[in-house]
Amino acid sequence: MVTRKLLLISMLAVALIVTGCASATPQVIKETVVVEKQAEKVVKETVVVAGTPQVKEVVKEVIVTATPEPVDAAGSIKLNASGATFPQPLYEDWAFAFNQRDPSVVINYAGGGSGQGIKDIKAGTVDFAGSDALLKDADYQEKPDLQMIPTVAGAVVLAYNVKGVTATVTLDAAAVVNIFSGKIEKWNDPALAALNPDVKFPDLPINVVHRSDGSGTTNIFTLYLSAVSEDWKKGPGAGTAVDWPVNKLGRGQGGKGNPGVAAAIQNTNGAIGYVELAYAKSNNILYAKMVNASGKTVEASIPSTVAAIKDAKFDDKLTAVIVNSKDPEAWPIAGFTYLIVNKGYKDCKKAEKIVSFINWALSDPAAANRASKLLYAPLPKEVTPRVIEVVNKITCNGKPVVSK
Amino acid sequence: MALSQMPRRLNRVAVSSLSRTLRHGDIPFKGALALSSLSLFGLMIGVGLMLWLRSGLMRANAGLSFITATVWNPVDEQFGAAPFMIGTLTTSLLALIIAFPLGLFIAIFLAELCPLGLRGIIGFMVELLAAIPSVVYGAWGIFVFIPSFVTPVGNALMGALGNPQRFPYLPIFQGPFFGASKLAAGLILAVMILPTIAAISRDVLLAVPRSQREAALALGSTQWETIWQVVLPYGLSGILGAVILGLGRALGETMAVTMVIGNVAQLSTSLLRPGYTMASVIANEWGESRTPLYGSALIEMGLLLFAMSLLLNIVARLLVWSVARRTPEQRA
Repeated sequence: MVTRKLLLISMLAVALIVTGCASATPQVIKETVVVEKQAEKVVKETVVVAGTPQVKEVVKEVIVTATPEPVDAAGSIKLNASGATFPQPLYEDWAFAFNQRDPSVVINYAGGGSGQGIKDIKAGTVDFAGSDALLKDADYQEKPDLQMIPTVAGAVVLAYNVKGVTATVTLDAAAVVNIFSGKIEKWNDPALAALNPDVKFPDLPINVVHRSDGSGTTNIFTLYLSAVSEDWKKGPGAGTAVDWPVNKLGRGQGGKGNPGVAAAIQNTNGAIGYVELAYAKSNNILYAKMVNASGKTVEASIPSTVAAIKDAKFDDKLTAVIVNSKDPEAWPIAGFTYLIVNKGYKDCKKAEKIVSFINWALSDPAAANRASKLLYAPLPKEVTPRVIEVVNKITCNGKPVVSK
Repeated sequence: MALSQMPRRLNRVAVSSLSRTLRHGDIPFKGALALSSLSLFGLMIGVGLMLWLRSGLMRANAGLSFITATVWNPVDEQFGAAPFMIGTLTTSLLALIIAFPLGLFIAIFLAELCPLGLRGIIGFMVELLAAIPSVVYGAWGIFVFIPSFVTPVGNALMGALGNPQRFPYLPIFQGPFFGASKLAAGLILAVMILPTIAAISRDVLLAVPRSQREAALALGSTQWETIWQVVLPYGLSGILGAVILGLGRALGETMAVTMVIGNVAQLSTSLLRPGYTMASVIANEWGESRTPLYGSALIEMGLLLFAMSLLLNIVARLLVWSVARRTPEQRA
């Protein structure tokens, strides 16, 4: 009886306290403080009224930040982004570095996949998005305001595991297509032997490992296969997930993410699969050299990826396919990753900071250094001005953010 | 401080009358209970409705042929669920076939034969197994379980029974076999649902009244006969409940399965070939599903999985009822 009453009363008391606190939330105080000179008075008054320790702390913070300077308060501009996971480590690193330069900007890049990023920017829930896949005509028709901005390029390599073969294998376009379409069945195939006269291949069936999750890496790799083979273009085609012909033959398997593919390769004798260069390099996986479009055997690296970008031909949407580059030094299996922005924003501060972030990321040598360190190929000087030009055209309520 | 001051400030009379109106807490208590239970309906309807509405595009596009189509080709926007449904069913049933007897034996041992000291330790280990995250099972599957157990077992099965000339009517063990396979997924799932089946069955068996065992022994039954003919039938409906829970986990398991099954959307009769499951394809491809139709197809896959679990649960529930009705004399 008594305990029940006590319970009821205490519940009431808790409810009262909660509602009491809620009426003195920090946001309310902040809003009053924004009215500049009166700030301190108002703040003191609130202190008297509210009188709880939490509120006092908030007030202190407010006094510090409520300086009459026109400089934006630290962390006051939050840019939200989501999308491709392939460039996520770099974007997070860039966001961190940019916040050091301009503390007012906090960029929060949430990953989730290219598809997620495209959905989010179309719905307007993010300020910009990351994507490995290109927007389709339907996307532009629906949202003509979208603009793709290439940021860095990545390379995709072919990793393999054949017991007894420790040398670096060389492959050419035909061999890769035939392996992935199942026409080359065994490692001791004459085509592979001809490319690698010094390597002794065993009589071992080839097991092809591909990504099971939809992925920009798959997109780049299948774009390459489509570029070098008409049959592949007409058959499986290119995309973030495709219907692999080897699966029908029972010699294919899918691994989740780069780690999943790498693990499947390492645990299957006779396996070959594609992973990102950055992943293969940092995990000491054996990967093949490639004969590129001009007939030269090249090794996958940052310089050879940059060579592939140099002669990139951008279309009017600022996108370019850079697989199978004609440059003699170029790594043939490479692709851009993009930011998707709006051509016009409503929030001028956000627009201004987005433009300055992208400008910094694409033209500051420090940003390029950070990219190279993480094994992404930064945009070469031949390409950057063209991209920056488009970025600087971003408007806010119809007016360009960057004055000429 | 506020809590201790409050009672003095409030009017005692008002509180006691309020308390009386609420029948000293009976009404709010009952209300809270009812609301909690009703929220289940809300959840089920909410999830089902969302799946139904969001999959509208795909349903309008392909209709029922989505279920029977066997090609999954996102590039050409051809979406068929059959390989995934078969994959989910095969792996879950394989898991059940392995885990059910094993789990039941563990439960019988723990409940009937195990020395008390050991019972605690084994019981603790069973519960610990249930607490391991599935991604850990998956990683263990790739790096330890497949190379050291699945591969030799699969190769032995393929060697003994997988020759298509000698055993043309036994296609489930034919190669080629590379490790990642439906067999691997089924075995991993068996390990994962084993603790569920074992722990619940043990609790069911422990709840069988002592009088039942004593009566059987008094009639001259051996221990084996007591367990097999008295204790197990008495607890059968509870044990079936454990199996249903295990099956539910197997059907919906995503992470561990996708890490060992090979993720190949291909119809194949062989357990040694890679496959794909419904939950795995949703998790794998959702993030990069670019077009509305693609996303809608994945949601419809979820709807099918939802319907399939519902159907299997209903069938299992009917089974439990029919078992319970057949053995009325034992539930005195």
